Order: sequence, then structure tokens, then C-alpha cells
Amino acid sequence: MKQKKIDKTPARLDFTQSVTGLILAIFISAHILFESSILISNEAMYKVTIMFEGYYFFGETYPGIITFFAAAISVIFVVHAAIAVRKFPNNYKQHKVMREHVLRMKHEDTSLWIIQITTGFIMFFIGSVHLYIMMAEPSNIGPFASSFRVVHEHMGPLYFLLLLSVVSHAFIGLYRLAMKWGFMEGKNTKVSRARFKFLMKTMIVIYIIVGSLSLAQYTYIGLTHDFSEVKKYKSKIIDLRAH
Amino acid sequence: MSKEKTPRILKIGILRFDPHDPEDVPHMETFEIEESDGMTLYIVLNEIREHHDNSLKFDFVCRAGICGSCSMLVNGRPTLACRTLTSKLDENITLAPLPLFELIGDLSIYTGKWMRNLNEHLETWIHDKENELEVDKLEEKMEPELADEIYELDRCVECGCCVAGCGTIQMRPEFVGAVGLNKIARYHLDPRDKRTNAEYYELIGDEDGVFGCMTLLGCEDVCPKDLPLQSKIAYLRRMMIKTSMKNN
Amino acid sequence: MKVIYTDVLIIGGGLAGLRVATGVKERGHDAVVLTLVPPKRSHSSAAQGGMQASLANSHMGEGDNEDVHFSDTIKGSDWGADQEVARMFTHCAPKAIRELAHWGVPWSRVQRGDRKAIINAESVTITEKDEAHGLITARDFGGTKKWRTCYTSDGTGHSMLYAMDNKAHEDKIDIHERLEAISLIHEKGRCYGAVARNLMNGELVAYVSKATTIATGGYGRIYSVSTNAIICQGMGQALALESGVATLGNMEAIQFHPTAIVPVGILTTEGCRGDGGLLLDKDGYRFMPDYEPDKKELASRDVVSRRMTEHMRKGKGVKSKYGDHLWLDITILGREHIEKNLREVKEICENFLGIDPAVDWIPVRPTQHYSMGGIRTKYTGESQTLKGLYSCGEAACWDMHGFNRLGGNSVSETVVAGMLVAEYISDFLDSSDSNLEIHTSKIESFVKKEQDKLDALLSKENGEDAYILRRRMEEIMMDKVGIFRNETDLKEAVDELQELLKRSKNIEVFRSKSRAANPALVNAYRTQRMIKVALTCALGAYLRKESRGAHSREDFPKRDDENWLKRTITSWPDENQTMPSVSYEEINISTMEMPPGFRGYGKDLTKHHPMTKVRQDSVDAVVEKLKAEGKDRFEIQDALMPFMDKLPKKYRGINARLGENI
Ligand SMILES: Cc1cc2nc3c(=O)[nH]c(=O)nc-3n(C[C@H](O)[C@H](O)[C@H](O)COP(=O)(O)OP(=O)(O)OC[C@H]3O[C@@H](n4cnc5c(N)ncnc54)[C@H](O)[C@@H]3O)c2cc1C
Ligand code: HEM
Ligand code: SF4
Ligand code: SF4
Ligand code: FES
Repeated sequence: MKQKKIDKTPARLDFTQSVTGLILAIFISAHILFESSILISNEAMYKVTIMFEGYYFFGETYPGIITFFAAAISVIFVVHAAIAVRKFPNNYKQHKVMREHVLRMKHEDTSLWIIQITTGFIMFFIGSVHLYIMMAEPSNIGPFASSFRVVHEHMGPLYFLLLLSVVSHAFIGLYRLAMKWGFMEGKNTKVSRARFKFLMKTMIVIYIIVGSLSLAQYTYIGLTHDFSEVKKYKSKIIDLRAH
Repeated sequence: MSKEKTPRILKIGILRFDPHDPEDVPHMETFEIEESDGMTLYIVLNEIREHHDNSLKFDFVCRAGICGSCSMLVNGRPTLACRTLTSKLDENITLAPLPLFELIGDLSIYTGKWMRNLNEHLETWIHDKENELEVDKLEEKMEPELADEIYELDRCVECGCCVAGCGTIQMRPEFVGAVGLNKIARYHLDPRDKRTNAEYYELIGDEDGVFGCMTLLGCEDVCPKDLPLQSKIAYLRRMMIKTSMKNN
Repeated sequence: MKVIYTDVLIIGGGLAGLRVATGVKERGHDAVVLTLVPPKRSHSSAAQGGMQASLANSHMGEGDNEDVHFSDTIKGSDWGADQEVARMFTHCAPKAIRELAHWGVPWSRVQRGDRKAIINAESVTITEKDEAHGLITARDFGGTKKWRTCYTSDGTGHSMLYAMDNKAHEDKIDIHERLEAISLIHEKGRCYGAVARNLMNGELVAYVSKATTIATGGYGRIYSVSTNAIICQGMGQALALESGVATLGNMEAIQFHPTAIVPVGILTTEGCRGDGGLLLDKDGYRFMPDYEPDKKELASRDVVSRRMTEHMRKGKGVKSKYGDHLWLDITILGREHIEKNLREVKEICENFLGIDPAVDWIPVRPTQHYSMGGIRTKYTGESQTLKGLYSCGEAACWDMHGFNRLGGNSVSETVVAGMLVAEYISDFLDSSDSNLEIHTSKIESFVKKEQDKLDALLSKENGEDAYILRRRMEEIMMDKVGIFRNETDLKEAVDELQELLKRSKNIEVFRSKSRAANPALVNAYRTQRMIKVALTCALGAYLRKESRGAHSREDFPKRDDENWLKRTITSWPDENQTMPSVSYEEINISTMEMPPGFRGYGKDLTKHHPMTKVRQDSVDAVVEKLKAEGKDRFEIQDALMPFMDKLPKKYRGINARLGENI
């Protein structure tokens, strides 16, 4: 039979939105865990950092790798945001209608969406700043350098806000992904949905706790460390050649 | 002797408006009704009409939760009024017409027209040009489970609750809504309907169709017939993506 | 004045109306459907149980055919039905169901192999044939020899109505919603359409048509408690009555359904008992076998309703503040069965009673359910007295139900009558008889008359409150024209209703004076009409001095074929009459295929007609002779009571069944 020509753009956009969201969410979950290595020790965080700089593969560090990663994530981030922004209320009337709807319905999943929209909006700004810094100064990552940024470059509060936003956005997003595509749908969809929702909430709480503790640790280091002496962390075991 | 409990006095706030009266504006009006055993909002509203204000407009037909006529916002949430027992509600109850649909007056809305447009747009009927109907012959066979599955989706009563419960459609009225998507899922499942995936894509493969759905799941949570809307929308989404990948 | 012209005006968008619409459209005629509510919300959607058609697919239906269906229907009607019509019906029911299957009704299907069922409170295993797998299955219903009631879970009417309405969309039929027909336009014994009121803006519209069909359903709401939707107010019967020309048949034939929940009167389907549910009294005792050892809970509806009432009168009912009731026990069917096949029932129990029917018993009692009577028509669906006016579905007295209709025969009637009447109407439209010969001024005068009536209601002062009159009428019908009837009560009912009718001329619409959407105004004019309809029913019951089917007189417990084998015909020739005119239409025994006999419930109390024996002997002789000659069942039937030539050609074919005519 002759196939009709169909417009594939909407399908592609929808799919891309989900895929980019998924990649970002996986990235973020890993990212926050890596960051939290500071809770173990400075040494651990340092190892993670240089691992990403390629030390364990090449025997020396290339901060450019971080730049590359950050750039890739940024591209995905921008693509994701650009596609997702279509879903924002695009004029005041829509905004108002939605607001009234949310207040009237008092419906959890709808409210979650509002959180996603809002956090997406926040990340649009803070996330961009963060990503830009990571691309611009990739070598300034490490127990001390990061702590310095958190305390003395006043990124702390911003990071905290970013943490709240990104964690809730990411896990609500993952929950929504599961619902949207029917991922691992059980025979009784009500039960599987309730499970996913529970998982989402648990993960948000865990991640916010872990993230906040790491941030607290950076702040502690930032406040107690004397940066005039040592700007960059020096491992006692691993000796990097200067570059 | 068991003590007779004094019945509650329900305060029923109703959002009223008569679009045919040039002087009227939307306003809340509150009626006080003594609660009785097994009282539903159907009984409440009829009592108001019969004893308090005979101009109050609302729609009931089957009064048994079957026909889908009496959907309204009860304390902000869309539901079927006739089968809502007052005993399950607080004594302050607010009633308002479903948003989005044309208002006839007070709680009465013109869902019929909206649904008819939807059905016409989505062509919600069996498309089969190949098989002539022969009334004397045995009917075509169908797997019993499949028949049950189709009926499961066919149970929609076009009450519009899912429409009123969906944030997306509130913002973008062109969106087909869960009721429309569910209908497509129903016909897609039905082997008697010979439409191809590409033809279905034409109908719902865009932002006004399945890709417009933001998975807010208001629909699923308010549907009085408990239709598996989330699952069916997800199914359509997967199917539409596959179709877009196959079709060159 | 707004005038809309069309070939066929169809008043009513339920199953019957929609089926007529698609039928005439297929024959190339325009149709406009008027309806009070979106068609999909018509009362047809509430039919849960099923549709009778003798498909004989399921094991328990084996051996079923038109003959068995016919005989069940006639017995069920207590010989009040028109046998030719019943033949036409049973012949076409399989066609109608197959048509609906083609249009999208999923219908529950036969599953090959063993399955468990509850029959007579015992679990039995039924084995379905391999070759039947995937064909339409059936369940047991009261008053039938075979399992013949086809169903879609327990949303049969819903799925049928949705398929029909969707078909109407496909056929691009004009459907005008929230338009209420309020009077027929007619001149010199010929109907030319109707005046309708737009319920949203109050506008009056004249629909002028060559043929007009009333498919407005029943009049259950003249009773205070009814299983019917609240729009089943008999407005179609009133339209016909007020024309002064058209007639109504057997208005006193009212069916009470055994199992509506207490107090609201919402129906739990006969499928509950069909699938094995039991009736219990206050002691949890199963009483039906004592009264009807053979059919027990599955005796005909009128019988079960009467037995239940009798049993409650013996003090065996459960006391409640809403009066006595009995229990329906479906817990024995098991949760799985209830959640799959009786889900609507489960929802109703949860939402209206707050109980779980898989654990709790359901409080039930007999409640007004179906109107056998209606607009009297010929077999073509055309009024016997007003040319160009047709009627079908519950609105009509086509007369296949006589004095009691079998469960599942009603939705079946709507689609069968709809498809046949559509053909007869089309034939009429194709003939020159159908020309429109009415002057605009005449149309105008009909519209004006209605406008004046509405104005009067709105401007009246110090008048009557319509609600008070209506509630009183409902009570009278409930208390005095109920399941068991007697001279004293009926006399009082007739007198008081007549009084109400007089008072209703003086109704005033208080406060709410809008000409647009105005529920008070609607209630006012409908109350006036409902009282007239109630009167035809009460008077018919008062005059009929016998018991037949659902009409049960305590003072005349016998069926009296000698004097009462006839239909009550009521009409309202003069507007100023305060009582309907009554006449009778004889039912001719000498042409019956199945002469009157014993229905098989209780003791045979029938006073037989002398003609009965004569006819029975001649029937027996013919059957014996033809059988000896080796004739088949179709030839024998044809010799007894030919009906094929009455059917439209396209529906004369012989139905295929597994093992027959394939
Ligand atoms: C609770 C319940 C369960 C039932 N279950 C079964 C069952 O299992 N099996 C079975 O065979 N039967 C069953 N019946 C009976 C059956 O449902 C009805 O007899 C049948 O559906 C009637 O169909 P209809 O098309 O004649 O009328 P309806 O479906 O009642 O339609 C009437 C139409 O007329 C319109 N109308 C009315 N007045 C006007 C007016 N003045 N102007 C314009 N339009 C008007 C209405 O809007 C509506 O569209 C059941 C009935 C009830 C009450
Ligand atoms: C500028 C930054 C961002 C913006 C504006 C943004 C916006 C949005 C919006 C509006 C949605 C909802 C779309 C819908 O309802 O269909 C969404 C979904 C999602 N977002 Fe983001 N987002 C951003 C960054 C991120 C990041 C950093 C992550 C990962 C941590 C992420 C993960 C997700 C996921 C998983 C979804 C669900 C995908 C889907 O619904 O298809 N987003 N985003
Ligand atoms: S899907 Fe559910 S909520 Fe939506 S119209 Fe149908 S029955 Fe109502
Ligand atoms: S899932 Fe949400 S957006 Fe999609 S139809 Fe349902 S309520 Fe609307
Ligand atoms: S009146 Fe029919 S669903 Fe409420």
C-alpha cells in the first residue's frame, strides 16, 4: 500500500526532548555523586577529579577533557531547554489559566509539572552560569579550588539553589519519562505509577541530603582552609607533573 | 437506644451565571441544605431547584453515574455529581461548571457540541471499505480478550472530566485531550478498523495530538470510569514514534 | 419564524432514533434528529444487561433459533403481542446484532473450552465448542428457554449507542441537540413535522418534514421511583396524544423490574440473576424456589416482581426507613466475575450504597422500569391514524411486547424496529404520497399556539406550583397504579389525576421568568403533559378487568381472553377533554401462529376464548401434516402465519448459524 508522507518533526522533537532530558538526568545523578566524594575525603574528591581529567588513562591530566564534557552537556542542555521551552505557557493568558487550574485542582502531578517548569526556568540562568564557568576554567576543579569558588566567589547560595532545582527537576523528569512512555509499566498501572512516584520522592530527598552535605563540606573547607598558602590541592600519594 | 445524630447543614456554594441575561455576571451563591441519609449532589441540586431557586440550571440524565451528563467541578475537581455522596465531603461544598466548555447557564454546559466536533475530527468510527456488511452471515470472529480490551476503552462516557482536569488543554484548547487520545487508542486496537498507522499519525502525530500531552495525568486521576489513560497515551506515543521512524 | 425543512424528522436520539436516521440516510433521504440531550446520553446507554438475538453460538444457546425466540416473546407478552410483528422482530434480531458488530460494538465473545458458571446456586462447568470461539456469546435472562442475551460486559446499551452515534457521525446526519419537540404539525390526518423549543436559548423552531418519527423512549418518570433516566417523561407519547389524531396503545402495561436498589431506584441488571445471583429475604432465605420451583429467580420479570411483593407482604421483607426491601446476593459469583462482567453494578453499589457487592448483599425491591405501551402503530411503524407519523423503540406500541417484555428484548427492538421503519419510511418518501402539502400560515399557527402557551405560563399569576402537582401525580401512580392494582385504588387514581389535570391548566412559573434556558418553565409544560400521559395509563388500568402480564388486578386475578384479548387504545381528540377517549383493538386469534396458552407460572387461571381451541387444533393439524411431508421449519411457519412479504426485501434472507445455513 502506498504510504502517506507524514510530518515527522513533532515526533522527533518529542523524542529528542525526552532523550536529552534522560541524558541530563543520568549525568546529573552521577555528577552529584562524584561531587559528594568530598564527604569521604579531599583525597577521594581529588582522585575523582583527575580521573575525569584523564589521569588514569594517560598518566597525566588534561582539563580540556572537562571542557569537552561541559561543552557537550551544554549543547544537550541548550537543545533540551530549547525544545522544552515550547511547553512553557507562552503568554500571560495561558499562564493565568494554568495558575487558576493548578490552584483549583490541587492535583499532585500537575503541581509537579509547575515545579518542573519553575526549576527549568531557574536552571536556565544558574545552570548556564555554572556550565560556563566549568568550560572556562576547567582546571580549577578540586577540593580547594571548588571550595574557594563556593565560599570566596560566592557561588554557594547559587549552587544550593541549583541543587534543589536540578535534583527535583531531574527526578520529576525521570518519573514523567516513565509515565510518558509507559516504561516498565506493570499489569496494574496504578500500582506501578505509585511505585515510581515513591521512588522519585525518595531519590529527591536522598540527593538533596547528599548534595547539601557536600556543599556544606565545601563551605567548611572554604572557610577553614588558608588559600594564601595552597590554592590547589596537592595529593600526598599522586604526584602530578606541573604543566 | 442509639442517639439520633442531628444532621449536618450543608453549605452549597454555586458559581452562577446566566449568559442570556445581559445584566448578570458570574457570582457565587450559597444555599443551605439539611443533609439526609445517602444524599448525593443530584438530590441536593434538585432540592435547591425545587425549594430554593427554581431557575438553577444543571444537567442530569441517568442520575446513576452512567451517562456522563452531570460532570462539574466539585470543590475544584471535575467529577460526576450524581454519584457524589455528600457524606464523603466537607459541609462547605463549592460547585462550578467545567471550564473550557460552552456555558449554557449555572452548572449546565454544552459538552455535546465539543464531543461531536472531536468525534468528527478524529473520525471515531470503524473505517472499513474492504468488507461489505452481510447481515445474514455469521459475524466476524474476534478474540475474547481483545473484545474485552476494546470495551475497556469504549467505556468512556464523554463526560469531559479529563478535559477539565488537564492543564495542557486549558492552556491550549486545540489539544485533543485524553478523551480523544483514548478514542484513537480504542480504534487502533480494533482489527475491524482498517486505518494504517500513518493515517493515525496524520490525526494525532503533532502538538495538538499525542505530542502535545505533557503527562500531567490530571486526566487519569479524575476519569470517573477509571480508564487507563496514562497507559494508553504512552502506548500511542510509542506507536507514533515508531511510525515516524518507519515511514520514509 | 425559523423553519427547517427536511425529508425525515426524527424526534429522539436514542438507539431507535439513530437507527432510523442512518437507515433513511442510506436510502438517500435527509434526516434531522432532535434530542433533549447529546444522543450518547440517551437512556439507551443505561441498558446494562444485554440484547436478545438467537445466534446460538454459546453452548447454553445451542438449538436456539427464531422459533424459540418467538415463542419466548409471545409467552412473555402473555399473548398480548402482535405475533406478526414478533416474527418480524425475531427474524431480524440476528441481522441487527451482526450489523452492530460490523459498526464497532465489541460484544463479549465465546471462549473455547471449559468455564465455570453458577446455575441455580451451584457451580457447573460449561464447555464451549471450538468452532464457536470468537463469536458473540450470550448470557441467561429471565423468561427465556435458551441463553440468548448477547452483551458487552455490562455496558451493552452504552456500547451499542456509542457505535450507533458514531455511525451517525460517519453518515453526517444532522443532530440538533437540546431541542425539544413540543407539538406535532399536522393537517387533515397527515403529519408534517413538529414545533421544537431550543432548550438553550428558548427559540421556537418549526421543523417541516415529509415523515416524522417519534423515538423518544418511555414514560417511567410518571412514577416517583423509577429506574428510568429523568428525561423519560413520556413527552413523545404526549406529542402524539395532543395531536388529537394519533393514538396510544396499552398505556397501562407498565413493567416493574425486580432488582432496583433502595431507595434511589437505580437498576442492578437482570444479568445479576442471569449469572447466578439469588434473591433472599430478611432471614437470608432463598424464597423464589417456593413460588416458582421451575424458573426460580429467572422467571419472567412481572412474575418475580409480584412474588417479591407477595413475600414482603407476608412480613418477610427487610425493614428500613425507606420501606421494606429484599436482598440480592451476588457474592456467590466471586469477585473476579463481578469485577469483569458486572462492573457497572459494582460501581453503583460502591457509589450509591457504599457497599461492596462481592461481600455484601444488595438491598433491592421491584421498581417501575419499562413502558410496554406507547404510540400505537402498524407493523410499518406508522401511526394507525395519523399518516406520515412514525414511531419506534420504547416510545411505540409496535407491539411485540404485549403486556410484558422480556429482558434484553428492548434494546433489540430499538435497533430492529429502527432498521425496518427506516425502510418503510423510505418507501413512503419514494412514493408521491409523501409530498408536502401544507401552507406556511398553517405552520405559523402551530408555532404561535405554542408560543402563546409558553407566554401564558410565564405571565400567569396566583397559579399552581408545577412541582406540587407533579409530585402528587408521581405518588398516585406509585401507590395506586403499581404492581398490584385494584378497583378502589384505580378509581381514586383516575379521579385525582383528573383533578390534577384541571389544576395543571392553571400552572404558574414562579420567579424564574427567562425565556431562554429555564428549568422552571420546562417543568411547567412537561408537568401538564405528564399528567395526561398518567391519566391514559391509570384509566386503561382501571378499565381492564383482568390480569395479564405486568397488569395485575387483585380483584380480577385471571387472564380473561374471552373479554380482554384486546389492546387499550387511548386518544385525546378534544383539547378541552379532561379524560382521554378509550377504545379497544381486538387481537385476532384465528391468525395466530401460537394461540393463547398457559405461560407456565403458578396455576393456570386463564379464562380461555372459545376460538383458542379451534385455532390450536388447526395449527396442530397443519404442523403435523407438513412435518409428515418433510417440510422444514421455515415452510411450516410460513404456512401458519406468513410474514416474509411484509419485510423489506433486503432483510428477508435466512440467518446463518453454526450448523445451519452456513
Ligand atoms: C436501567 C435500565 C436498564 C435497561 N437494561 C436493558 C437491557 O439490559 N436490555 C434491554 O433490552 N433493555 C434494557 N432497558 C430498556 C432499554 O434501555 C430501553 O427501552 C431502550 O434503550 C429505549 O431506547 P429508545 O431509543 O427507544 O429511547 P431512549 O434511548 O430513551 O431515547 C430517547 C431519546 O428521545 C429524546 N427525546 C425525548 N423526548 C424528546 C422530545 N420531546 N424532543 C426531542 N427529543 C426527545 C431523548 O433525548 C433521547 O435521545 C433498560 C432500561 C433501563 C431503564
Ligand atoms: C535550561 C534548563 C532546563 C530547562 C528550561 C528545562 C525545561 C524542561 C521542561 C519545561 C520540561 C517539561 C517538558 C514537558 O512537560 O514536556 C523538562 C523535562 C525534563 N527535563 Fe528539563 N529543563 C532544563 C534542564 C534540565 C536538566 C539539567 C536536566 C537533567 C538533570 C533535565 C531533565 C529533564 C527530564 C528528564 C525531563 C522529562 C523529559 C520529558 O518530559 O520528555 N532538564 N525540562
Ligand atoms: S476519558 Fe474518562 S474523563 Fe474523559 S471523557 Fe471519557 S470517561 Fe470522561
Ligand atoms: S496526561 Fe496530562 S496533558 Fe496528557 S492528556 Fe492527561 S491531563 Fe492532559
Ligand atoms: S446523570 Fe448520568 S452520569 Fe450523572
